[in-house]
Amino acid sequence: MTDLARIQQAFMALLNGTDQDLINHIAPQPGLDAEHRALIYQNAYRIRLTKVLEQDHEMLGRYLGDDLFDDMVTGYLAQYPSNDPSLRHFGDKLPHFLATQLPFSEHGILSEIALFERLLLQAFDAPDTKRLALSDIQQIPADLWPNVVFSLHPSARLLRCQFAAIESWQALKHGNPPPSPELESEHFWLVIREADLRTAFHPLSQHEYQCLQSMERGLPFSFVCEAAANIHQDAESGALAVMQLLQKALTANWLGDYQLP
Amino acid sequence: MDLTLNTSPPYLGFGLGLRTCYFEDIIDSQPEVDWFEIISENYFVEGGKPWHYLDQIKERYPIAMHGVSMSIGSTTEVNFDYLRDLKRTIARIRPVWVSDHLCFSSIGDFNSHDLLPLPYTEEALTHLCDRLRIIQDYLEHPLILENVSSYLTYHQSQMTEWDFLASLHQQSGCQFLLDINNVYVSARNHGFDAMDYLNAIPQQAVAQIHLAGHSDFGSHIVDTHDQPVCDAVWQLFQRYAQSRLPINTMIERDDNFPPFDSLMAELNQARKLAPLNWSSND
Ligand SMILES: [Fe+2]
Repeated sequence: MTDLARIQQAFMALLNGTDQDLINHIAPQPGLDAEHRALIYQNAYRIRLTKVLEQDHEMLGRYLGDDLFDDMVTGYLAQYPSNDPSLRHFGDKLPHFLATQLPFSEHGILSEIALFERLLLQAFDAPDTKRLALSDIQQIPADLWPNVVFSLHPSARLLRCQFAAIESWQALKHGNPPPSPELESEHFWLVIREADLRTAFHPLSQHEYQCLQSMERGLPFSFVCEAAANIHQDAESGALAVMQLLQKALTANWLGDYQLP
Repeated sequence: MDLTLNTSPPYLGFGLGLRTCYFEDIIDSQPEVDWFEIISENYFVEGGKPWHYLDQIKERYPIAMHGVSMSIGSTTEVNFDYLRDLKRTIARIRPVWVSDHLCFSSIGDFNSHDLLPLPYTEEALTHLCDRLRIIQDYLEHPLILENVSSYLTYHQSQMTEWDFLASLHQQSGCQFLLDINNVYVSARNHGFDAMDYLNAIPQQAVAQIHLAGHSDFGSHIVDTHDQPVCDAVWQLFQRYAQSRLPINTMIERDDNFPPFDSLMAELNQARKLAPLNWSSND
């Protein structure tokens, strides 16, 4: 290894908390000693990355409180140091971390709140594409409908919650105490950037969630209807429900485009 | 290909760092700013508000691109994924110039997201010249490098930071974004005279100036960029500018954002302190 490479490796080991050898490379100067000079960088590293998680996960921070949030940052930094030049990806593995690491994994809602906040961030700067309008789909020839593939707007994200994650997020946002994390049954959501660029989220019924999910997976329209028929137990009310959802999605600008076979 | 020679960016005057919280102020009030500098990485994303606003602002103002994550000094492989994103963004923005920092930030996959100082050695000089060539060839665009502030120096260093910059310019033709606050911060932390530093960098090597604020912790100061430019830095700027041809000058604020008018006041202060021939003639 060259001298330059050795210094750089030592610097990163210092920041990562695995080795203090950098201190031996620091020239003595009046004022601060080498340990203090190294400490300035160690502190800056931790502060900078803590701040990223605080900004990206404001409501998770309120839910956890300062001490637990700090513990989370310490654990997360040790396990998932940033491996992308862009800070916007630093927290990408936080939902996974919270779902798998004690004591956080004992509270499933934490991972869900974190995931919801990541989806909001993804929706914020996803690609801009046109939004599908009712008039666009009126041009689809009747015989091609079974094979039409609809796609959601690139900023749209579907979310399925076992806990009251979004309800807690909203309560905390308004300065209220969060409700009990338990839900009687799962809740379903769509996160999307609206046409006016605001990031928004909408509750979905389970059936709406499943239909939009089959669109998201690129399934043709006949498959979307089939899935709906299974839920509604007959083809006709299934098809009706899909048409209602389609109308709702078009009115709300949730769809990006469609493709013909 | 040597892209750095004879490609000095044009003199545009006095600029401001473009930050999200000022988008609407700028679009609504169309302030008297000669150009804006963006953080390149903030526009590696594909859509949404950042681009919505930038597209409008770049219609009216020249845009310079300033990156924070290139890590040109790293001894591990050049990150071509990063450069691909940068090149794509350059093509979309068509900036007046492109800069990053004279430092290292990452080693392999590990990103410190800090601007870490290099040792001032012949080895580092050669390494930087090689990396500059590879990166500029790939980008097909010259790259301007900013001096970073530092809180430590290495046993290994064989020359001063200013001799290092002057040599780098001599060997590669590379131009600098001279951050006068960073020079001041390092001067205080290492006990050298900031004017010695500034005077050692040849005029033709300086493409841009940053003026920013810092936090004073008594035993050392940190370039937090979250305060107004301090008197000592204004004085340095005035002394430095006095005998020099016009250099693009910018107020850089990265945190603790004041109302937009306060930044305009600082920008006008820079205009006032600079020699008369620095005032843009539009
Ligand atoms: Fe700067």
